[in-house]
Amino acid sequence: MRPNINYLIAGVFVALIFITIITVTAILPAMTFTPVPSEAAYKYEPGSPEAIGRMIYRREGCFYCHSQFSRYQDREMGEVVNAGDYVYETPHVLGSERTGPDLSNIGGKYPDAWHWTHHVNPRVVKPGSIMPSFSYLSDEEMTYLVAYLQTVGAKRKQPNWVTAPQEYRDRWDKVKEAVDINSSAAANAGRGIYMQNCAQCHGVEGRGNGPTSVSMQKKPANFTRPFYKSYDDATWFWRVAEGVPGTRMPRWYKSLSDESMAYVAAFVKTLPQDNEEAVTSYDDVDIPGALDENFWEIEAAKAHGHNNPLKDYAPSTFKAAGADDTATHGGAH
Amino acid sequence: MSWLSSATRHIISDEPYSASRNFILSAVLWLVVGVTLGTLAGALMTWPDLITGVAQLSFGRLRPAHVNMVAIGWLSMGYVGCYFYILPVLARRKGIWNEKLGNITMVAWNLVLLSGVIAIMNGYTEAREYAELNGIFDWLVLAALISTGINGYMTVLTGEEKKWYVSIWYMLGSLFWFPLVYIIGNRAFVAFDGLNDAVAAWFYGHNILGMWFTVGGVGILYYLLPRFTSAPLYSHTLSMIGFWTIGMFYAPTGTHHILQSPVPEWLKAIAVISSVFLLVPVLTVLTNFFMTMRRKWYLAADHIPLRFVIAAGIAYLLTCIQGPFQATRAINWYLHFSNWVVGHAHLALLATFSFIVFAAVYYIIPKVTGRKIYSKQLAVYHFWFTLIGWIVMVVVLTIAGLIQAAGWHFSIAMDQWAFEMEPYMFVRFLSGILITVGQIFFMYNIYKTVFGAEKDVEALPHSPTGIAYV
Ligand code: HEC
Ligand code: HEC
Repeated sequence: MRPNINYLIAGVFVALIFITIITVTAILPAMTFTPVPSEAAYKYEPGSPEAIGRMIYRREGCFYCHSQFSRYQDREMGEVVNAGDYVYETPHVLGSERTGPDLSNIGGKYPDAWHWTHHVNPRVVKPGSIMPSFSYLSDEEMTYLVAYLQTVGAKRKQPNWVTAPQEYRDRWDKVKEAVDINSSAAANAGRGIYMQNCAQCHGVEGRGNGPTSVSMQKKPANFTRPFYKSYDDATWFWRVAEGVPGTRMPRWYKSLSDESMAYVAAFVKTLPQDNEEAVTSYDDVDIPGALDENFWEIEAAKAHGHNNPLKDYAPSTFKAAGADDTATHGGAH
Repeated sequence: MSWLSSATRHIISDEPYSASRNFILSAVLWLVVGVTLGTLAGALMTWPDLITGVAQLSFGRLRPAHVNMVAIGWLSMGYVGCYFYILPVLARRKGIWNEKLGNITMVAWNLVLLSGVIAIMNGYTEAREYAELNGIFDWLVLAALISTGINGYMTVLTGEEKKWYVSIWYMLGSLFWFPLVYIIGNRAFVAFDGLNDAVAAWFYGHNILGMWFTVGGVGILYYLLPRFTSAPLYSHTLSMIGFWTIGMFYAPTGTHHILQSPVPEWLKAIAVISSVFLLVPVLTVLTNFFMTMRRKWYLAADHIPLRFVIAAGIAYLLTCIQGPFQATRAINWYLHFSNWVVGHAHLALLATFSFIVFAAVYYIIPKVTGRKIYSKQLAVYHFWFTLIGWIVMVVVLTIAGLIQAAGWHFSIAMDQWAFEMEPYMFVRFLSGILITVGQIFFMYNIYKTVFGAEKDVEALPHSPTGIAYV
């Protein structure tokens, strides 16, 4: 029964090493690392809709697909988090894998009704999404979950989401000497280039519904969306030049000169102003009206050109989840 | 109720090696159920509307169910089954210290896991990765681990052999480390706030791999390798260096899972440095593996368990090149959050450690039951289905991960490249099917061996001749 004394010493040594490591890497941080709550930290009152919503978020395993920390390199995901933001985030929901986007700045990004629809069937608002449908949640749970999402990062300010990298800003500074992008002469010069190169996909009026768009899974951009007004000149130039990887949008710098791209950008820039047709936010529409056939047609048109399967889903799915109540629940936040 | 008492007598028996056999039999069952649920979760990545309106089967609940079944059910129970055979043999003892306690632990473990998984699927979850078993289940699992640990230690201490082969070190080490790691990682015992909770969670999340799966798997490997090749282990010293360096460098690496979150920099530095130092134990294992295999490779032609071991050794090489490399800041900056990491996880737990346990099961089951493996052909199918399955899975997940990472780093909104994932997710589902079919062959083979054929060879562990296994 008595082990070799050398083994005993070795065993004690193993234990000591391990206890030291536990102390240093798990206990010591808890004692020394106590950041002050930042402005963005949200304190969940126990029992409040937000706190229950957070519990549902954990229970449904949202964090297996969504992270909650945006990093410096995640340029399109909003402001970078810092330690103080997490003081009240217990237990943590940082997440380790992003099947879906990071959610650290989701609060305030969409109206409640959007989330509601998205949870019932994500494919209604995001065709092709692989997020599961959470239609099994009760109306009450759904309200809580949405209330929670609206708090996440809501206190951080939203910067511009997509902006041109520095390389393109420098290049643009040179190009803009030659082309005055805001002049109607430039826009007129761009019109011809657009009609020749872009209209077959983006459509004559820039609605993203040109003839070839029919065969595309990822539809061409619809420039009538008011969102595009926030693009600055360098960003337009960059988007045209680099295209959109993962879609059929070409990288135009390979076939057009810098000047031509500037002209066509000048023309595209006029589209959101001239043809704007979309509603700016769901909250602007009367939500019970969401049950009108018409509402979904507008949304369909807005989202991805005119012929979109989206409207086939909409009213019944939405209703199934008790959307009639959104008007009351929706404002829970 | 006489059937009940006879069943109880049968299951909670004190026949030598019965606990080993029972642990392995349960592990194999969990494996099949676990990979099936994993494949189902994989299918949801291609057809998200396949199942709607059933809370229990939504992705966010299937995934933890899958992970717990394969990690706590299959792999951990498989390890204990192997320990309960290998430890007594190495310590020269007939069976473990208390066979009855072993069997009671086995029954309890199964019940806890079954109810735990049902609870997870019904929404009672701790919601921290790898630690989903919640509240009361945490205590029960800990009790099972401690009773396993006591049994393991007492087996070795009461054995006749006073010189410990390295496997004993590895196995006893893992039985000491795992309960402690489990305590740190579960909020039933240790509950910190905010980011510190994440630090503790990943201390656990990584060390269940490092201090349990790796240490245990390497221990089993060091036992099987000399047995299969009939050659001594290349270097005992190297293997001991491996043991000590694992003890020193594995445990502090957890923070590399949250390397870019706002946790203290010094913690990240410790994690990265020790992750890179992991190359030391890894290289000792690999050197020992490849040097012991010298001039023995031909044996794999008809020694099926050895094939599994070789596949595991090569997968270990790949995993352990990936690991330290991913943990460095620059690479992590690019790859983190992507499916690359999911591929890495399967490379470690499926391709490496599960393969070691497959080999061990094919070797141990004949020893503890005295029956020849039912079908060599099925074992061969099991090998190829699983091997091709994981190769396909890891390759597609790696490519998918690189695409995702590129998407983020060109700062392109995710819904613009999400479609690119479709073919990969589909192939990944197919690889899941391959793996599941392979495991069904495995289960059928093992159950047929144990319950089917008549005993044909009297093969107890001490008999010098052993038997012709597969
Ligand atoms: C299978 C993985 C998966 C799970 C589980 C999951 N999501 Fe998603 N989620 C996605 C994907 C993929 C997208 C991107 C496409 C889309 O918007 O639907 C997404 C998008 C989102 C968005 C929009 C983000 C944005 O910035 O546009 C929100 C909000 C969201 N999910 C919330 C949730 C919540 C809440 C849960 C849990 C109830 C959840 N998700 C569970 C995969 C998942
Ligand atoms: C083969 C079809 C095709 C052609 C031709 C094409 N595009 Fe595109 N374009 C697309 C697609 C598809 C997208 C991606 C839409 C998305 O990201 O949702 C896109 C996106 C864009 C965007 C980015 C919008 C954003 O959201 O930032 C710009 C700018 C753009 N196109 C401009 C042009 C210009 C200018 C031309 C002509 C010089 C052109 N495109 C020609 C298919 C095309």
